[in-house]
Amino acid sequence: MKLELILAVAFGGALAAYPAGKISSRLRNILVVGAALFPAAALAGLYGVRTGNVFYSGFLGFPLILRIDTLSWLFAVTVSVLGALGAVFSLGYIREGEVSDFYYPNFLLVNTAMLGVVLAGDLVSFFIFWEVMSWAVFLLICHKRGRALAAGIKYIVMSLIGSGAIFIAILSLRSAAGTLVISRIAPALAGQPPGFLLWLLLLFSTAFGIKNALWPLHAWLPPAHSEAPSPFSAILSGVLVKIGTYGFILLFYVLIGRNAFLGLGRGWFSPSHLLSLAGGVTILVATFIALRQDDAKRLLAWSTIAQAGYIFVGLAFGTGLSVAGGLLHFLNHAVFKALLFLAVGTVEFRTGGVRDLNSLGGLSGRMPFTAAAAVVGVAGLIGVPLTGGFVSKWMLYQALILGRSPFLAFAALFGTWGTVLYGYKLIHHIFLGQLDRKYDGLRPAPFSMRLPMAVLALAVMVFGVFPGWPLTVIDNIIGHLGFDPLGVTAGGMISQSGALNTLNLLAAVLVSCLLAAAVLKAGRKTPRVGPEDNYAAGTVVPRDRYNFTVSFYDPLERMLKPYLRDFADEFGRKLTGRGRTFFGLVRRIYTGDVRDYVLYIVVFLALLILTQLGWRPWR
Amino acid sequence: MRIAAIVFSPLLALAGGLFFLGLARKVAARVGWRCGPPLVQPVIDIIRLLNQSSVSHGGLFSLGIVFALAGAAAVVLFLPLGGPPPFRESGGLLAILYLMLLAPLGIALSGGAAANPNSSIGVSRSLILTLAYELPFLLILLAVMTRYGTISLVKIVESQAGGGWAIFSLPLLLSGIAYLLILPAILGFRPFEIANAPQEIASGALVEYGGRFLALATIQQALNLFIGPALFVNLFLGGAGNPLFFFAKMLAVFTGVLLVNAAYPRLRLEQAVGYLWRWPTLIALAGLAAVMWW
Repeated sequence: MKLELILAVAFGGALAAYPAGKISSRLRNILVVGAALFPAAALAGLYGVRTGNVFYSGFLGFPLILRIDTLSWLFAVTVSVLGALGAVFSLGYIREGEVSDFYYPNFLLVNTAMLGVVLAGDLVSFFIFWEVMSWAVFLLICHKRGRALAAGIKYIVMSLIGSGAIFIAILSLRSAAGTLVISRIAPALAGQPPGFLLWLLLLFSTAFGIKNALWPLHAWLPPAHSEAPSPFSAILSGVLVKIGTYGFILLFYVLIGRNAFLGLGRGWFSPSHLLSLAGGVTILVATFIALRQDDAKRLLAWSTIAQAGYIFVGLAFGTGLSVAGGLLHFLNHAVFKALLFLAVGTVEFRTGGVRDLNSLGGLSGRMPFTAAAAVVGVAGLIGVPLTGGFVSKWMLYQALILGRSPFLAFAALFGTWGTVLYGYKLIHHIFLGQLDRKYDGLRPAPFSMRLPMAVLALAVMVFGVFPGWPLTVIDNIIGHLGFDPLGVTAGGMISQSGALNTLNLLAAVLVSCLLAAAVLKAGRKTPRVGPEDNYAAGTVVPRDRYNFTVSFYDPLERMLKPYLRDFADEFGRKLTGRGRTFFGLVRRIYTGDVRDYVLYIVVFLALLILTQLGWRPWR
Repeated sequence: MRIAAIVFSPLLALAGGLFFLGLARKVAARVGWRCGPPLVQPVIDIIRLLNQSSVSHGGLFSLGIVFALAGAAAVVLFLPLGGPPPFRESGGLLAILYLMLLAPLGIALSGGAAANPNSSIGVSRSLILTLAYELPFLLILLAVMTRYGTISLVKIVESQAGGGWAIFSLPLLLSGIAYLLILPAILGFRPFEIANAPQEIASGALVEYGGRFLALATIQQALNLFIGPALFVNLFLGGAGNPLFFFAKMLAVFTGVLLVNAAYPRLRLEQAVGYLWRWPTLIALAGLAAVMWW
């Protein structure tokens, strides 16, 4: 099917959702789900197709091109499938009312624009879709008003800085390479000096780094993710942040080209190494800041920054294994982070908007399905064996160790142990511990919210047990990017340096589990008791008074507090504060007195005449 | 042959671990001029616990302990115990590192589901302590993997068979010392018996266990006691040609830990973190730097 047709239908669906909502909400819901499912179904059949065509050629003389290859396919399918699941989840989550008519068109618009970005075959259409995406995201982040508005402003300001950087970069490329068609740029740049490539890297990395929330450009992400509606947080974290990742792949390995990128600089001072270091810092800083969060969605937002750091380290490190690991982690992260946001969103939905971890607890008895989904999601996040996260993280660690960068590997590994702490905190504070009496009557989530979670939880486990499926696609991609193939098998991979076979792991863990479960089940039946039967040194405790959540990791938090500040955010705040003072002073020139304005004009004209007479103050 | 190895190695580890459990009580008693229980006391306890009735706190409570035990048993299948392990090429040391994670996570899940504040406190302490010793531990493992240029534990053991024990090769000496310094923390012995301090928080995460649950938890603890020294013997003492030698080497290492256990009181959590992030970390860091730039 033609790519422009897919995009046109998706855009059409987004626009039609608004009038459809005015007619009836049922009609709109059908339309929304259909419009979200259509690109997923249409794109799934395009695996392995490499094609491209000009869909409009009159734009300022630039041909606008849509094209697809395996890399675009992977991103496009992830975007559209997650978009469809988010749309289904939204049906239950978004309460009917005036704003729901506004929510769905925006939601579909973001998804379609992301599809456009990954399918764009030239930088002009890339930039157009990029801008549509940025603005639609802004509207959705602000959806709940109030605090969300401040989060949205922060996002859009940073996003505009990124857009400016892309725009300058595109202009420089146009004048240097003479073409903006993505596949033709790398050959055209062959003779350029390294300084120009560094300039391009700097500009594009600013833009993509802001989207990818790379430290120190991450400041927009925590408020935006926590204030957005939950199904959209899943999209934001699962795929929108990864559009920055896509941009980085495009920049490193397509626009500049693998050999030119890895050939820049030497040793420690190569861009590849410095960027990997930035990724390592992102992992450590974001992980340990996540540890201190008490808001469920804010915790997940910081976690997204950290996991995006893993992906970025893999991409920037620049070996075949690391790039493949980064790509696989992109896929896995999209799945498990969307799952976690949906699970937290379900809790938020049922408890009437409670996200504060310290006021929840014990919900696993009331919402067993959501609790199970969250446990699977956290297992994937940590990278417990037999979940998707394990395979991708294993590949990243191996690539870093064998690439003789043990300190980067250390950042990644130690970050994982930080992940254990905050992942457990999320599960424990929401689902474990004692249940508050006011949540006694809590009902489980409706089916439309459970279905997306079930699909995602299944995907986490399938990608963990049969990593060969996604790895085949990724092997194909890195082959096109110019790396050696991985040696993919059904249960992982076999390479010179080390092999992974998840089927062995599965067998070992499964048999041990069954044995242990058999011991537990054998003999007399085990009665189930409630928390009122707990050991409390001989006293009776009221059922819901003893829940240990506040300052859960207190000694650690106290030790780390002085070091774990969000320096980038503090710098930004200071900068805006200074800017406000400065521009407040500048504003004083508007005195409101006409005579002053006349004076300005006269002084300005005098300056112009002086320069005309031959006075050159800048010489 | 392979099937036999798969059945045999967890049983060997279990027997060794139970022996270590009994030995720990015996040594602690003898150092304090007491007689102590017989060496087989843990086995007697487990048999008794398996026959006692138990109560459950729900699905996650049972699932957690099953996962914990399965994780510990699965690690053993990937460890060379004086011979090649049953599962050879399955992700190497990195996979072992991750499988070792299943046990504390499972206990944490189960302890949290018990809805007893004591167990929540115990879990919080155990996770912080784990994070604290993982910092030097990861540096040590990275030093070994970088030195031998592989992530496969089997290949690390094979390299030492040719080139001498790792702990006596100069760049890795520091890493070996650092491992010995953190071994009590990995095994949860005094001065790091913080997570399940029985007198303070009623055994922490284990507080709600009884009967078969406690039996499984004890078995898991026994396997854990086996894994820590076994990893040290493989990484630094060159493994062994047969299980008997392997066990002898482990026993030598473990006895040292027991003497420390008998002599020291319990640290507070922040003291423990402070210690683990100071000397062992500095030594491990120096070891890694030596491997990189020697």
